[in-house]
Amino acid sequence: MHPQRSSNLIDSIPNQIGPQRMQPGRAGQFLRIGLLAVLLCVACAVPVMAAPVHLPAIVEPPSQEHHIGKLIFVQLVTPDIAAAKQFYGELFGWTFRDIQAGGTKYAEAFLDGRLLAEIIHKQVPASEHRQPAWLSFFAVGDVDAAKKAALQHGAKVLFEPHSVPDRGREAVFSDPQGAVFAVLASSSGDPPDVLAAPGEWIWSSLITSDPDSDAAFYQTLFDYEVFELPASPGAQHLLLASDNYARASANTLPANSPKAHPHWLNYLRVEDTVKMTAKVVALGGRVLVEPRVDRHGGKVAVVADPLGAPFGLLEWPETESKEVEVPK
Amino acid sequence: MKIILLRWSALAFVGLTLTVVLSGCILPGGGYGYGGEYYEPYGVDYGGWGPDYRVAPFRGGDHHPGGEGGHGSAHAYRAAPASHSMPSIPSSSRSGGSRSGGGSRSR
Repeated sequence: MHPQRSSNLIDSIPNQIGPQRMQPGRAGQFLRIGLLAVLLCVACAVPVMAAPVHLPAIVEPPSQEHHIGKLIFVQLVTPDIAAAKQFYGELFGWTFRDIQAGGTKYAEAFLDGRLLAEIIHKQVPASEHRQPAWLSFFAVGDVDAAKKAALQHGAKVLFEPHSVPDRGREAVFSDPQGAVFAVLASSSGDPPDVLAAPGEWIWSSLITSDPDSDAAFYQTLFDYEVFELPASPGAQHLLLASDNYARASANTLPANSPKAHPHWLNYLRVEDTVKMTAKVVALGGRVLVEPRVDRHGGKVAVVADPLGAPFGLLEWPETESKEVEVPK
Repeated sequence: MKIILLRWSALAFVGLTLTVVLSGCILPGGGYGYGGEYYEPYGVDYGGWGPDYRVAPFRGGDHHPGGEGGHGSAHAYRAAPASHSMPSIPSSSRSGGSRSGGGSRSR
């Protein structure tokens, strides 16, 4: 019954616009069909254009907290999103929400319901030798003001300020030494200042050719307090703080690392750096810096995921000084 | 009948194709995010840390700046006042509790 009615309906439409009303000639018919097709495609494309991509907010439910200069989000662009999800999911227990928008695949990473990171799929052309890296997003109140200040102090804009529905306004810069970072004015507020749980981002370090001038640059952007940390001759280690909390360190590029270049490195909290480093290797990753005791009394390591994106592992024992450094 | 079906098939095909093309033009890079341009150059060295290379913060909040730091030495940055002790990362738990983990200085 219904197929018959449909068939009749289809038959009837062309008859109305058929030869007796579409004269003269076939050219006219095709012109009309063409115009109809254009109208149809515009009608279909407009809703696609208008439909916003709903990426998760930084904080849910929204808060009124703002912590300028704090690392509040990280983003990884990788040529193999499935491999990245498998690696970080198995290593830290992250769960993912997949989002597809305009041909791009996003995987939003969560731990216990809290948004931790975003992984974006993007193929690297075979002719280009590049490797994935985590991009750090620091909290600001005004992205456009941050851009102005950054440009005035020697930075470059890699991605102009733009708004992301439900997330806020963001921009990507490279600092005067070339380290790439992003700023984000979160429309849902910033995450609270609490101790990161294992599997969450706990620390950031800037490794740069000139910590002194880079500290001044970031101080301009984020109003950091800058403290000098003990360092061996020829090196400089600085601590950057805001809201009376340590936010990051700025460190001289290692002397025996000829192919190094300025970069930000973010650290995930782990309970046992040695065990997690072994797990990284078992999952196809690499060790870049072997586990070692740092000034807080726990161990840190630097590893890379199977696609080459580097990140740090940092123990932060619940009790004071899990291991004590022997004075030199 | 065949000609009619052919016309409508052609109409649908052209419409679909143009829709995809238009959508692709309008959403370059696939959306609102940074869009995926951040890759590092291949072969960059992230290791090479010497034995004294330290990147982490101190624990607790009662460490005072070491070396010459913070007291008028020539730096590009504006050093924290000597009266400010060096803060650490937040240490309070997510479930609540008092603010802790920073420096001993109150603001």
